[in-house]
Parts: sequence; C-alpha cells; structure tokens
Amino acid sequence: MHPSTSQAATTLTPLRRFATHTTTTCSVQASAYGKCILATYTDVRKDACKEEFAKFGACLREAMKRK
Amino acid sequence: MSSSATLRQVLRARPFALLSSSPINIGSVGPYQVFDRHAKRLQKDRSALREGGARSRTVDYVRDEVADRMIERMVDIKRKFKSVLDVGSGSGHFSKLLEPETTQKVVMLDSSKELLHRDPDDAFEVEVERIHADEESLLSVVEPNSQEAVVSCLSLHWVNDLPGVLVQIKETLQPDGVFLGALFGGDTLFELRTALQLAEMEREGGISPHISPMTDSRDMSNLLGRAGFTLLTVDVDEVKVAYPSMWELMDDLRDMGESNAVIGRRNYIHRNTLAAASAIYKELHGHEDGSVPATFQIIYVIGWKPSPKQPKPLERGTGETNLKEVL
Repeated sequence: MHPSTSQAATTLTPLRRFATHTTTTCSVQASAYGKCILATYTDVRKDACKEEFAKFGACLREAMKRK
Repeated sequence: MSSSATLRQVLRARPFALLSSSPINIGSVGPYQVFDRHAKRLQKDRSALREGGARSRTVDYVRDEVADRMIERMVDIKRKFKSVLDVGSGSGHFSKLLEPETTQKVVMLDSSKELLHRDPDDAFEVEVERIHADEESLLSVVEPNSQEAVVSCLSLHWVNDLPGVLVQIKETLQPDGVFLGALFGGDTLFELRTALQLAEMEREGGISPHISPMTDSRDMSNLLGRAGFTLLTVDVDEVKVAYPSMWELMDDLRDMGESNAVIGRRNYIHRNTLAAASAIYKELHGHEDGSVPATFQIIYVIGWKPSPKQPKPLERGTGETNLKEVL
C-alpha cells in the first residue's frame, strides 16, 4: 500500500520542514516582514524590506539547522 | 535567423528544461499559444497516479462543489437526453452526478488518460464511454451535428484557443443542442497571484507568470456570441476555501493537476521567494484565526445552437398589449 498520512508525517521533505518553519517557528519574523510589505505594497521595489527579510531568513536558516 | 540561432543556443544550454515540454514552433501561424498542453497532460497524469489516486481524490472538493452547482443548471433544462458529451471531464466530477432521468449515457473526453480512467464505471449512475483525446481538436473525434448536449466543467481554462474550441463545440451540437459550461474566471487565486508578485518584486526585483491568465464573464458572452450560440446565459459565482497556509494551497493545486503550465514559466521558485510569499499571503489576505483564503471564481455559461424551432423575439411593432395599461 501507499504511505499513510502518519508515516508521511515522520518523513517530511526538506521543503515541508521549511514550510512549517515559515508559518510556525518563525511566524513572528514572517509577520514583521509581511507588515513591512503591506505598508509599501503600492510601491514595492527590490529590497524594500531587506532588513525584515534578513531577520526572517536568519530565523529560517537557524530552524533548518536544528533537526 | 537570429531568433533560430538564439533558440539553438538555448537548446544547447538547457536541454533538461525542455525535455518535458512540447516543441513549440515559433515560426508557425496559428492560434496564440499561452499554455504548454503537453506539460499540462503530464501534470494531470501524475496527479491521478500520486498515492494510487488517493491524493487526487482528496482534492476533488473544488470540482465537486462546482459540478454540484452546475448540475442544478442542468436539471433546469426540461429535456431527456440520449447522450451527453463531457469535454475535459477529468475523472468525471460532473458526469457522476448525472441521473438516468436526465440522460441515458455520458461520453467523457479528456486529454489525460490516467485521470479519465481514475474511477471505475460503477461510480456512475448512467452508462459511460471514455474517449482519450485532446479537447483542442474536438472535431477530429466527434462528428459534427451529432450531440444533443455538451458540457464542460472546469477544463476550458487550459485551452489555448478558447474561441476555436467554442466553435468546435457548437459544430458538434445538433441544431437546438445545448452547451453548458463552467470555467475559472479572472479573479481565481488572486490572493496567490498578488502574494507571489509582491514577493518576487521585493526579493528578486521582477515578476514572472505563476498564475494563468483567465477569462472574465464579459469575454465569455462575447466569445459565445461569436462562436454562434444563441439564448446565452452567463453568470458568475465564487467558491472560497480556507487553508492553513499558502503551502497547503500549493500542494493541493499540484494534486489537482493545476500546477503552472504557462509557456515561458520558470520551472522553479527560490525558497526565499516562497517564504516571502507565504508571509505576505498571510498578512495581506489572512483570516483572524490564522488561516488563509483562496478564491475560485467560476463563470457558468449556457448557450444554444440556433434552430428555426427556437422561440424568437417578435417583430417590432407587433405587440398588442399597451404597456401603459400594465404598468
């Protein structure tokens, strides 16, 4: 048979783990970044929220290192 | 000259990316090509095979909901058909709802063989026939003037030549035959579209197509009129679905066989861009309970092939009741 959901949950793909970190582990930084975009979304340009994303990215990298 | 030279360069540089795509002849004359039909067929086949079809069945919810709303429009037509042709039937979301009171038989036609044969015949209440063929060349498998009713439930949004397919549908219909369709409208997935655009803009400094261009209701009535249908009915409806986050939405879209198939799409999005899009999606569109909405806009159309038997408006000036007395 094909893997059941419980089995699939234990063998998460790296992208799945990454996804979880963006929404739960680093939700505070994600929210800060989102708010920054929201404040400028009529005139978004490259690196408009660079600082916020740097914090978000750092959190994600840290979370991905931990198993 | 120069364009073929650059194409050759591209072919040499990136043979892997082109393996899954159909050869698109840039020099040929024909309908404008927006979608990669070959990639779309592969996506649909794969979606039907994933986990033995289990994933594909879990994500039937949008199609089942729309099929359910479309069957209401079908039973409003007080006729009993010998046969109904379901163009782009997929696994038969609409066909499954047809009852013996409406039709004796349903003919399902789809370009994805795996999806077409996903569900066994006993899931249907009426006799089923399956044709594996490309919806874009309908007239090569269906005789003109042969159908009493043609339906299409959420498949025409991957057709390159929508006006051409509508003309073909009209041709396959008998006079006074009916076409009933449901298509995704232009507001479909606007949340995902805007989130990805903002994320790409801010992270990478540019945007690329991730969500297909889709038709809107005004275009549909024009196109149906142009294809030669009469007594048109077009209406718009929405299906809103809440997801835990953008990631679940994207997984489900893939399992529906609805991944991106726009020609010239990027085959991959950088992780950082996806993370940014997920954050933006939630802040821009998210609900208070933490879930995020996805909108599916549906355009329902009904059109009839002209026939002298159909009711027509009376000549000007033949009215006998004075409206002043009525109002």
